[in-house]
Amino acid sequence: MIAHTTERILQTVLVLLAISFIAFLLVATLGDPLTSLLPPDASIADRQDLIMRLGLDEPLLTRFLHFLNGMLHGDFGISYRTQDDIGPMIATRLPATIELAFASLLVTLFVGVPLGILCGVRPNGIISRGVMLVSIAGITLPNFVVGVLLIAIFSVHLGWFPSFGRGDTVQIGGWTTGLLTLSGWRAIILPAITLAAFQVTFVIRMLRTQLLEVGQSEHIRFARARGLSERRIWSTYAMRNALLPTITMLALQLGNVIAFSVVTEGVFAWPGIGSLFLQSIQAADVPVIAIYLIFVGAIFMIINLVVELIYPLVDPRLKRSGA
Amino acid sequence: MSEPVLKVRDLSVVLERNGRDFPVLDGVTFDIAPGEVLGLVGESGAGKSMTGIAIIDLLVPPLRRTSGTIALSGERLDQLSAKRMRRVRGKRIGFVFQDPMTSLNPVLSIGRQLTDTMRRHLPLTRGEARERAIAWLTRVGLANPPRVFAAAPHELSGGQRQRIVIALALCAEPDLLIADEPTTALDVSVQAHMLTLLRELHEETGTAMMLITHDLGVIAKMADRVAVFYAGRVIETAPTGRLIGAPLHPYTAGLMQATPAPDADGAMRVRAIPGAMPGIGALPPGCAFHPRCERAQAICREERPPLADAGGHDAACYFPLVEEVVS
Repeated sequence: MIAHTTERILQTVLVLLAISFIAFLLVATLGDPLTSLLPPDASIADRQDLIMRLGLDEPLLTRFLHFLNGMLHGDFGISYRTQDDIGPMIATRLPATIELAFASLLVTLFVGVPLGILCGVRPNGIISRGVMLVSIAGITLPNFVVGVLLIAIFSVHLGWFPSFGRGDTVQIGGWTTGLLTLSGWRAIILPAITLAAFQVTFVIRMLRTQLLEVGQSEHIRFARARGLSERRIWSTYAMRNALLPTITMLALQLGNVIAFSVVTEGVFAWPGIGSLFLQSIQAADVPVIAIYLIFVGAIFMIINLVVELIYPLVDPRLKRSGA
Repeated sequence: MSEPVLKVRDLSVVLERNGRDFPVLDGVTFDIAPGEVLGLVGESGAGKSMTGIAIIDLLVPPLRRTSGTIALSGERLDQLSAKRMRRVRGKRIGFVFQDPMTSLNPVLSIGRQLTDTMRRHLPLTRGEARERAIAWLTRVGLANPPRVFAAAPHELSGGQRQRIVIALALCAEPDLLIADEPTTALDVSVQAHMLTLLRELHEETGTAMMLITHDLGVIAKMADRVAVFYAGRVIETAPTGRLIGAPLHPYTAGLMQATPAPDADGAMRVRAIPGAMPGIGALPPGCAFHPRCERAQAICREERPPLADAGGHDAACYFPLVEEVVS
């Protein structure tokens, strides 16, 4: 078990190194930082000075090591666009993205799970059929279409919710939260639903398939043959089996939620790291793009690692296999 | 004779496909007396397991019961509401499934599955249920019952799991145990243990048993009486000794010759019945066995032979093997 854990952690570190190297190559080879950073009338001395300051005259590998070393010490380099440090840039925008991801996860849990159970237990009911029909829309409609539709209906037509921004925020330590104000809550609803649209349908379909499959299984038939109540059979005997893969998939999707928030944040002008990424692309701000990629990669890897390490605690079958 | 524990009359089940009904069970009739072991024998697809499932009313579409009465100690099960039927399953009829590897819930402990089942049917506290569960684990011959109680199914072997399946079927003390191929999925060495265990539990509890198997050896060892199934019908029924000594129906005789057994000079002889059992929806007119039968005459092709009531050894055949000894 410990050997397995160490091995997985090492693998994660290796993959992160690889991602960092690719991101670094982006910074090192794309665009010319001197033209971005220096005013057009800069002197040769200014140029030399900047080259020295950014270490652009050093060999590639040395620069990569500097880059890594900097990241480990919280120095993520500077933006070509604003010349600000990238670390604080991301830090100020991170709470918005995390709160949005969290809100959409809640939507997924409270809408997707109950509907998924309903569709799995009563696959032929009228509600189930309706849900499955609508869920096709959730799977096929791209995020930005859902977002624009919601804005058109609930912001423009009905005027219930704002169409952009986070509303009023409150500063708590280094964290700005929109969850403590009414306008913050109103602002987060539409983006959270938009971001959750895919996850919700995903969870519904996943749970439904799992429950239908488990419902057919021999051990459920045996439970019926022992006279256990339908309620007990579904709530315990089938759900336990169906939830395991669903929880895994949901946890792994959390990475996607953060990564895909780019589009949703773009549609709703949500001031998170997703819109930062979009702005950076428009301005060819390669260092910010690179750090964002590393950051998202790290989130993905860490979530995967955590899920994999806690899975044996949930599923007794994996406990002693050592695999 | 006292009231039979189970009385099945004219049980018919159909499979619905493209709006048409195809018979799967056709007029199945038999009794099980208190304390008796009835063996249901036949090839795969002959309807033995279907009979068991139909008795506990767990047929799922496209299968459907179309006629027949099922009485458990005089009470008509076929007329019970779904809710009351759930009180019969597990409590009055225990059911042992074929494959112990898939019959247990993989994510719940053995103890949980046992106590849930007992507390559903018996007024027990958590502690009493636990005590009883451990007593049952001991009774079905498992070593270190407290450890097994806490174990998950994957930690146990196939034989251990089948013992647990048997404990689960018997733990609410049913009047009738239906065992569907209880040894088929097990290693040969474990099969004998399992049969001995079933035999012992049967003798201890006096529970009547319906033993479904395709193995005449198991029948010879376990059953008091046998019902032979062919293409969804009972074609012969007799006390085990008489059936094995002098089968009346040509199919039964063929089935016995198809069972490997040493002959006089010790060589193993197997003689397969030519042809194959007709599938669902492909029943020939007349006797379902006539295309494979050496003794078939014109009437066999036209009219279906009824199961003649001949005082305990009945066969559905116009030309039974009377007085003949099977070589």
